[in-house]
This record gives sequence, structure tokens and C-alpha cells, in this order.
Amino acid sequence: MEFKQVVGRRRSIRFFEPDKPVEREKIQTILEAARLSSCAVNAQWLRAIVVERDKLDRQTLDTLKTPVSATNLELAPVHIYFYGDRGVVPRTKGSTLKELVDVGALAPAHGWSHKFVDEFVFPQILEPSSRSPEMASIGIAIDCGVAMNQALLTAVDEGLGGCFSAFNPGIAKQAFDVPDDWLPLYVLLIGYPAESWEAGGQRPRPPFEELYFEGKYGAPFKRDEKVIETLKKADMIQAPAPLPGRKEEVRELARRFGLPE
Amino acid sequence: MALAKPIGEYESVRAWFESLREQWGEEPDDWDEKTRALDAFCSFVDKEPDTIIAECIRESESVRKISVKGRRFYNDKIAEWQDQLAGERREQARAGNTVRSFLIHNGIFLQSGMQT
Repeated sequence: MEFKQVVGRRRSIRFFEPDKPVEREKIQTILEAARLSSCAVNAQWLRAIVVERDKLDRQTLDTLKTPVSATNLELAPVHIYFYGDRGVVPRTKGSTLKELVDVGALAPAHGWSHKFVDEFVFPQILEPSSRSPEMASIGIAIDCGVAMNQALLTAVDEGLGGCFSAFNPGIAKQAFDVPDDWLPLYVLLIGYPAESWEAGGQRPRPPFEELYFEGKYGAPFKRDEKVIETLKKADMIQAPAPLPGRKEEVRELARRFGLPE
Repeated sequence: MALAKPIGEYESVRAWFESLREQWGEEPDDWDEKTRALDAFCSFVDKEPDTIIAECIRESESVRKISVKGRRFYNDKIAEWQDQLAGERREQARAGNTVRSFLIHNGIFLQSGMQT
């Protein structure tokens, strides 16, 4: 699929084919994409534990659920539990930045040197911020979110459906031997969609002009109709929800899976 | 316990019907089946429909919140009730989901998973 089409076709899929397995190579492809994402300090905080739902015992699956994610966790054949490893910066002590200097990604042209990392960046910025749980968690969550979205879009490109969901971190920690300093994020549920790929159309979004500004807050970034037309042709901007027949589709799915209407 | 008035006159039942109409954009054609199932469940737990909803809500600093305890209690009771109904598993599940629908359309978020 073209990139714009992947962006346009992505939906949070909540009805999966529960018994259709996901090929292992597709799961690896999703993880490979996450590993290549942009990340501050090149720290690579993201960690993932891939779990096949059917390899979980009933009690573990039931207790991993939260009130809002119970049905999703049950329907998705593959769960990818994402975490941020809070121990990365204290362990690497700026070496990931120095690697970027060595490979020419960070250059003296932009002021970078090993000495700058060793004497200023690590002791004065990275090390203190890694000791502040709040600051560290915000940075980790942002960069892990970037990587997780790359994983999600790759799942769409592989013809899968995906949806980020909450999970019970205490149960997951026990069940999957999660290290103490890993920050629980979301579980990415993946599988083949049981709903149509349109899943009722692109979800409602606030008007573009209310979100993005030019020069200063309050001056909307003006949309060009020609760009919108181009993006429609490229399948990035698609028909908004609800598409005709969506209610019937949801009702059929509810009946098929024995869910309330 | 017999209900004190016709089931359709309870506020929570009216709210359920109204929400179903709004959700599906049509008049459900199985009101009788739905109300029979809810009536039977009310007898099972010996509670009126409005009381069931009230017990799933708690007031905290004048904010209405879902009572985890109440919701769990009724979630378990629905499972228990549907399991003891006569008929095939599919019919039991349908009846249980009818009562879950009553709770959901009254704002009590509930996910009990697949009932197949």
C-alpha cells in the first residue's frame, strides 16, 4: 500500500477474527518498523512482549482485562504489550548519543562532540531528568508513542487490524516477568478484521483550522482545497463515518460474537 | 418479587428503550422478548429495574460514578442467571445480553466478552 493510503485506511479495529492466526513474519515486520522509529537521544526506550492470546491461561486473560478493554483482548489473537524501559539512560550514560556522533548523524556542524555529551548533556540534562519520574515518563511516553504508531501503521500495511488498548499492568508484570523499571504503556491488539476495512468510515475529527495555526495561535493554517482533493485521490482522506450500513454491520458482528446490542 | 408496576413504566426501562431507538434508528421489534428477559432477571435478583441501575452507581463528591462493586455484582449475577436458564447456550447468551444491554444503555459500562 502507498503510505498515504495506509494513513487513510487505519481505523481502530475492535472486532477481530478471533481464530484466524497472524503470521509470525507479519508480527516481526511490525516490530522491525517500531525499532526504526525516531527517538530522542536515540535512547530506544520501547520494549514489547508479544503474546498469543490462546497461549494465555483463562485466568490470566481474564485478569489482564480492564473494564474498557475486555472484549478487545478476548477477540484479538495477538497482543503486543508495550513498555518504556526507564533504565536505558542510566545504563547507557549518553553512549547512544555518542554513537550518533560516530555515524555522522550528529555532527560538529551542529555543535556535537563526545566531550559535549560526556560533560554537559549526560550529567546536566539526561541524568537529572532520568531521576525525575514525571519528566522521564513524559519523554519516554512520547518517543514510545511514535514507535508504537509506526508499528500500528505497519500492521495496517500488512493487511491487519489493530487497536491500542489498556491492560492490567500488575497482572501483566507477573504473567510476563516484566522488569521493575519498565513503564507500562498500551497493548497493541492485532488480528485480521472481522469488520470491513472501512469500519464505518474515517472517524470524526475536529475541524483542521481549530487544531493547526500559522505564525501564532488563533491564525488558522489555511487548508488548500487542491491539496484535499489530491489526498482524497490518494485515499488518505476518505469518506467520514458513519458510512451507510454501519449500524447493520455492528449489529451483525454483535450477534455473531454473542455481544450485547 | 413481583414488580410494583408494569415494567415499561420504570424510568430505567424507558431510558433503555429510548437509547435502543436512538442507537439503531428504528423501533425494535422484540420489545416483548426484551422485557420478559429483564422481568425474569429482576425476579432472579429480587430487585426492580431502577434499583438495579441505582446499585451500579455511587455518588462521590456530588459526581455520579459507576460503582465497581455494583457492576461486578450484576455482571456476575447475569452470568449466573443465564447459565441456569433452560434452552441452548445461544438462547441463554441472548437473554443474558438483553440484560447487559439494559445496563449498558443506562450508562453502566460493561464488557462481559463473547457469549458464544
